[in-house]
Amino acid sequence: MTEPPARAGTDVVVELRGIKKSFGATEVLHGVDLTIHTGEHVVVFGPSGSGKSTLLRTINLLEEPSEGSVRLLGVEYGPGLPGERGRRGGPLQLRRHVGMVFQQFNLFPHLTALHNISLALRSVKGLGRREAEARAAVALRQVGLVRWAGHFPAELSGGQQQRVAIARALSLDPKVMLFDEPTSALDPELVGEVLAVMRELAESGMTMVVVTHELNFAREIGDFNVFMDQGSIVECGGAGFFDTCTNPRTRQFMEAVL
Amino acid sequence: MSLLAYYDWGLIWEAKEDLFRGLLVAIEVAAVALVVSVVVGLLLALARMSRPPLSWLAAVYVNVFRGIPALVSVIWVYFGISLVLGINFSVFQAGVIALVLLYGAFISEIYRAALQAIPKGQREAGLALGMHPIRIFVQVVLPQATKIAIPNIGSMFIGMIKDTSTFTVIGLLEVARVTQNLNSVTFQPFVLFTAAAGMYVLATFFFDFLFRVIEKSLTTPPAGGIAGWLTGRRKRRIELVVKDLEALSGRT
Repeated sequence: MTEPPARAGTDVVVELRGIKKSFGATEVLHGVDLTIHTGEHVVVFGPSGSGKSTLLRTINLLEEPSEGSVRLLGVEYGPGLPGERGRRGGPLQLRRHVGMVFQQFNLFPHLTALHNISLALRSVKGLGRREAEARAAVALRQVGLVRWAGHFPAELSGGQQQRVAIARALSLDPKVMLFDEPTSALDPELVGEVLAVMRELAESGMTMVVVTHELNFAREIGDFNVFMDQGSIVECGGAGFFDTCTNPRTRQFMEAVL
Repeated sequence: MSLLAYYDWGLIWEAKEDLFRGLLVAIEVAAVALVVSVVVGLLLALARMSRPPLSWLAAVYVNVFRGIPALVSVIWVYFGISLVLGINFSVFQAGVIALVLLYGAFISEIYRAALQAIPKGQREAGLALGMHPIRIFVQVVLPQATKIAIPNIGSMFIGMIKDTSTFTVIGLLEVARVTQNLNSVTFQPFVLFTAAAGMYVLATFFFDFLFRVIEKSLTTPPAGGIAGWLTGRRKRRIELVVKDLEALSGRT
């Protein structure tokens, strides 16, 4: 792995150290280090099975690492490195600061768009019904869907559902947003509206980690780009990465995709 | 003609009150048992989906009690428990317990299938939002699983009403007992048991309809007239929230 370029001047939000993950006897992450700074847009890409989604899911401990540490706001989470001791935070505490958007949206189908968001606000922030609903409406307005507040997920298009999912995650004021291939399950003509919301979010200064196959979008917003293959980071770099990357495996992948 | 004359069909009209009272008793026992069975069934389903040895115990329970007929169950509860433990249940209580023992097992299988049908992503979405796992179960997974389970629970309920007919052996005044009592005075078994059959069919039609209405109102978006006004209220409340927001942003 090449040395990550120095990104001075900003605070670290999330720091992954030595993340390993095994499913049974197969190790799918071989000790990954990654630092994410405030306001940074980190793009993770690579072939299927490279471990990029698994890596993303270890950031909020949806996937508990077999080894390694996740550090957020000065607190260590996860099992830690071998021999590492000290107090570690629980997953519930960590997840309250990390928002996540899934490939399959994962909206709650039995609740309206508004109540998908207000349920999260009520149970995580402990808000009363009125306040939760009012804030949920604000979150829906942010993604341009306030008129659809009373609709159920089944009555919305895929793009609208994903925008509601983004609003739901944002409503909890996360310190960092994770996107796990957010446009992969969408009809091509609906990809644009979701990317537009993400672009707006990026411009507003939100810290984002995006796993995506949309390399044109990645090139546009990626402040820090990470290419993964076979459970390791092969190469990473700053804004010009897509034109300046040197590793033959990275180049091969880019030529195949772009 | 002579055959028809021999059967006193007018008896049904005279006995209608007794028969309906019997049906009401049957429905009461079955309804109380249904509520308890759903709770027991859900707990059993969770036990069965948990770790051994709890899952094994639940599996043994389910397989044993699915195999026991209601007649055996009620005799066992009413007479057996009284003999062995000295606890004397009323006939109503014994009927409810007998049904819960059996239908708790059936409903646990219905709930297990329904819970397993909920995509993993639903739980993950809740976790990613930082929701507590118990809250995710109660507010995200359970409502969706219940929607799947409702049609099957409905047919279980119809089975429960029919099984109350065996409680005649402990003297519960349900439809079969009422019929037998009337028959011992009038000696018109064909007429009276035809009427009894009619009672059960009536109940079946009614509850089939009722569960269909419930099922319909649980679809998203809800369908059907009864769901209509419930949805209407929610829609109006959401519109209000949105209007408030627009008024607020208009000022700023």
